[in-house]
Amino acid sequence: MAALLARASVLTALLVVGFGCSGGDSRTTITIWHQSRPNEREFLADEIARFENQNPGVRVRPLYKETEELRSGFQAAALTGAGPELVYGPSDVLDTFHTMGLIQDLGRWLPPDERADFVAGSLTSLPARDDPAREELVQIGDRFGNHLALVYNRRLLPSPPETTDELIRLALEQTVDQDGDGRIDRYGLVWNYTEPFFAIPFITGFGGWVFQEGESRSSVPESRSPKPALDTPAMREALGFIRDLREVHGVSPANCDYELADSLFKSGRAAMIVNGDWSWSDYLAEPELDAAVAVLPVVSSTGQPMRPMIAPKGYSLNVNAAGPAADAAMAFVRHMTAADTQRRLVERLRMLPVRRSIQADPLFQSDPTLAASQRQLENGRLMPVVTELRAIWDGMRPGYQAVLGGSLTPAAAAGRMQADAEGFIATMHRRIEPSPAATWLPAVAGLGLLGLLVWQLPACARLLADLRANPTAYLFAFPAVAMIFAVIVFPFVWNIVLSLSDMSLTRFRDWRIVGFQNYAEVLTDPRLWGLSGVFLKTILWTVVNVTLHVAIGVMLAVTLNGPVRGKSIYRLLLIIPWAVPAYITALTWRGMFDYEYGAINLVLGRWLGLAPVNWLGEPLRAFEACVITNVWLGFPFMMVIALGGLQGIPQELYEAARIDRAGRWQQFWHITLPLLKPVLLPAATLGAIWTFNNLNVIWLVSNGGEPQDSTHILVSYVYKSVFNLYRYGYGAALSMVMFLILLGASLALLRRGKATENVYG
Amino acid sequence: MKEPIRITLLRHAVLLVFVAVAIYPVLNVVSISLRPGDRLRSTDLAVIPTDWTLASYVKLFTEQPFLRWLGNSLVVSAGVTLTGVTLASTAGYAFSRFHFVGRKATMLAILTTQMFPATMLLLPLYVLIAALGLIDTWLGLMVFYTATALPFCVWQMKGFYDTISPSLEEAARIDGCSRFQAFWHVVLPLATPGLVITALFSFMTAWSEYIVAAQVMQDERMFTLPLGIKGFQATLSSQWGLYAAASILVSLPVVVVFLALSRYLVNGLTVGSVKE
Repeated sequence: MAALLARASVLTALLVVGFGCSGGDSRTTITIWHQSRPNEREFLADEIARFENQNPGVRVRPLYKETEELRSGFQAAALTGAGPELVYGPSDVLDTFHTMGLIQDLGRWLPPDERADFVAGSLTSLPARDDPAREELVQIGDRFGNHLALVYNRRLLPSPPETTDELIRLALEQTVDQDGDGRIDRYGLVWNYTEPFFAIPFITGFGGWVFQEGESRSSVPESRSPKPALDTPAMREALGFIRDLREVHGVSPANCDYELADSLFKSGRAAMIVNGDWSWSDYLAEPELDAAVAVLPVVSSTGQPMRPMIAPKGYSLNVNAAGPAADAAMAFVRHMTAADTQRRLVERLRMLPVRRSIQADPLFQSDPTLAASQRQLENGRLMPVVTELRAIWDGMRPGYQAVLGGSLTPAAAAGRMQADAEGFIATMHRRIEPSPAATWLPAVAGLGLLGLLVWQLPACARLLADLRANPTAYLFAFPAVAMIFAVIVFPFVWNIVLSLSDMSLTRFRDWRIVGFQNYAEVLTDPRLWGLSGVFLKTILWTVVNVTLHVAIGVMLAVTLNGPVRGKSIYRLLLIIPWAVPAYITALTWRGMFDYEYGAINLVLGRWLGLAPVNWLGEPLRAFEACVITNVWLGFPFMMVIALGGLQGIPQELYEAARIDRAGRWQQFWHITLPLLKPVLLPAATLGAIWTFNNLNVIWLVSNGGEPQDSTHILVSYVYKSVFNLYRYGYGAALSMVMFLILLGASLALLRRGKATENVYG
Repeated sequence: MKEPIRITLLRHAVLLVFVAVAIYPVLNVVSISLRPGDRLRSTDLAVIPTDWTLASYVKLFTEQPFLRWLGNSLVVSAGVTLTGVTLASTAGYAFSRFHFVGRKATMLAILTTQMFPATMLLLPLYVLIAALGLIDTWLGLMVFYTATALPFCVWQMKGFYDTISPSLEEAARIDGCSRFQAFWHVVLPLATPGLVITALFSFMTAWSEYIVAAQVMQDERMFTLPLGIKGFQATLSSQWGLYAAASILVSLPVVVVFLALSRYLVNGLTVGSVKE
């Protein structure tokens, strides 16, 4: 049957190769990676069909990618000389793509005289990399959006507030405990107040902004990067105002994140929500509500309107696109920004067009949502197209969340935000100069390899001899080993090289070997190795998780392995956490940890009479929440392994033990556990490795390390520094260090457990 | 064999508690899939919302190419499972029974391939996939998934073979079996629980992976289930109803596979009598 299995595998493989090749198509194919929302995707598909009808020689292939995936995927693809012709999305990543040299100047496809009809801000230009005096057109927008406004439920509120005083008054009226059980049943105002993007209207309303104003981008590259302006009186007042909404007025729930705010408003349990244009059509369509969109109120103490950030969404051209494909791609961009298409965009999606001529459309008068959206856009502020904006968000988040959690005053938080943001920007732009090591490193590495080869030559000779003497062993082991290493060797070597390089935001394509600076930085970082550092937390995370996985798994397996009725049903129900995709269950757990509405606090309160725990708002509790979720995700797997292992234990051993009057515990300790060891040890070792490198749970349950970046383990720390600060060299060095830690730990563990040896000798 | 009643009760109590813990969060997912309006959160604990609807499930089959994704995923997972079981059962046997040069080193080296954070390998992986021309092929996916699943499977199979006494094979050899026949007729049947775990693990690896799939598959017609489902997720405007409904449906084949295989996992071929 093994032969049959093998034959079947080969057949499947052949079948797959056959299917994998697609047929030829003489048309020029262009690919678009876009991050359109669901209703926008239908519009895009219809416009593609229309465009293909008019241009029979061109085929357009749209591919949806989620924001982060589009960014990192496009970087990888463009770096290797491939990738889609067009990328479509908001303007915030443009500076990054441009700095990395991944997108090209669109100037020659849109001459200056054709730009007159475009609304200011819809065309994004950046200084050329080689000549900062020259501007390059990097994106052609086809719509505006991403702006926040106030949505209110007209069943509860006849008209929206004009000022923040009115906002607080109305919100207080609407915050009610209908059944008198001490829990608030409806809140006056909700919004995602964990994310600083949603705090921008408050900051601008108090007269502030995120960057220092009035500074045009200098032509000197070093001073080009904008300076954060977060430690300002306006910021302190805005933070105080937001905090008081909950702490003093009590009109918003605790720890309200995006999904909670959205669900509360949709189910009529909140009178007002601050949310972006992407969400409005859902609210207007919701039968439970009578939603309407209004402009954000004026801040009473300053008399200034709350001004949200606005951004165009549009198309950029891959630096690798050339010839007919590039022309076809730009013809499509032209189609999407043509007056007809823009009119259809307004009519179907109720989104804001980029052409002035369309803004006079009667729909802007007749449709109240569109009218409000347009007015909100007019008093909005254009999102700065600079990579440093990411450092602003990352710098704001911890301080902002600390204010909301009550651990910092607004003044202290504003100071921390400024310091953090400045630190991130400096890190982003850090240049590493090659050390002397860079010159001799390749030579030494080559010599080292050669030396290794010479040193291992006798072993190779023995291998050859053994190969002839013991062919079956090699025949059995070779295919699996070859397959494993075929996939891993190249990425492994790449990672080593990268860890010695200065690959970063400013040196993305032209990186070079610089020496061991990245390692030096990793090994001296107090955030990693301190007493309360990320490293110790990772160890704690791994040990606690794996211990509980194995303990619960073995306990359940032993329990199931006896004479129990309904065994097969129990077994099936117990593996369910393994079967359901972890992404959604991790988010479900996040919901269960919610302070006010989560199942866990409700159970603690109702059944055990305990006070509610602020799971996601306090650093240690948030870490515990991640551990609980991960234990839940992982125990079924260990249970299955243990169940399998139990089948291999001969029953006679137990019978003999009973004759010797050994108790159940003694039988478990002296027979079950030792004989489970050969099966459990590899599973536990690998389980520890996977847990050590488990990014998902931390990321999803604590929403990327919240509160205040306190739940990070090494892998999420790497992820954040690579993907938020573009520190590829540093990330590679840190992952090499992680690799060495794991290697050392596994060697020690396996040597003690003698896992490579047979129990029977 | 009869057990004292308190032990039986204890068994049921433990199992019931853990079943409750295991399924409650999943019931929440069911609840999300039945809610209209893509609401991820709710303010009450009701599993079936008052305004429940099956619209998300209907949409999956009528408006989304769910069946195509399912078919693609089944092909990939079946291929990975077959290859994984074949290669792991032979390699594990070699590592358990033969003493050849570089055995220990190779076993450890296999383990080390799991020690890199996957997210760091994406860029070189893409370079590799593109260089080999494996973009948009199932072969590319299968090779990567098998290579990902194999280290655990090989170690697991070795662990299972280790619990089987070599004297059984020796007896078979004395009775005139070849080395391969002894492996095939004596050892492999005894290692059935290990094969089942290997199969389940390989299947799950291929069934739930999307990071590599997102790099390999650029053509929507080739999408596997996790990739298709990922498309329901968008920054701040995810289609939670579809996402939850698809997640529930995706777990059904896993449950079916587990049901089909699990009889070998428990009360399997009770082989005690053959063993020492």
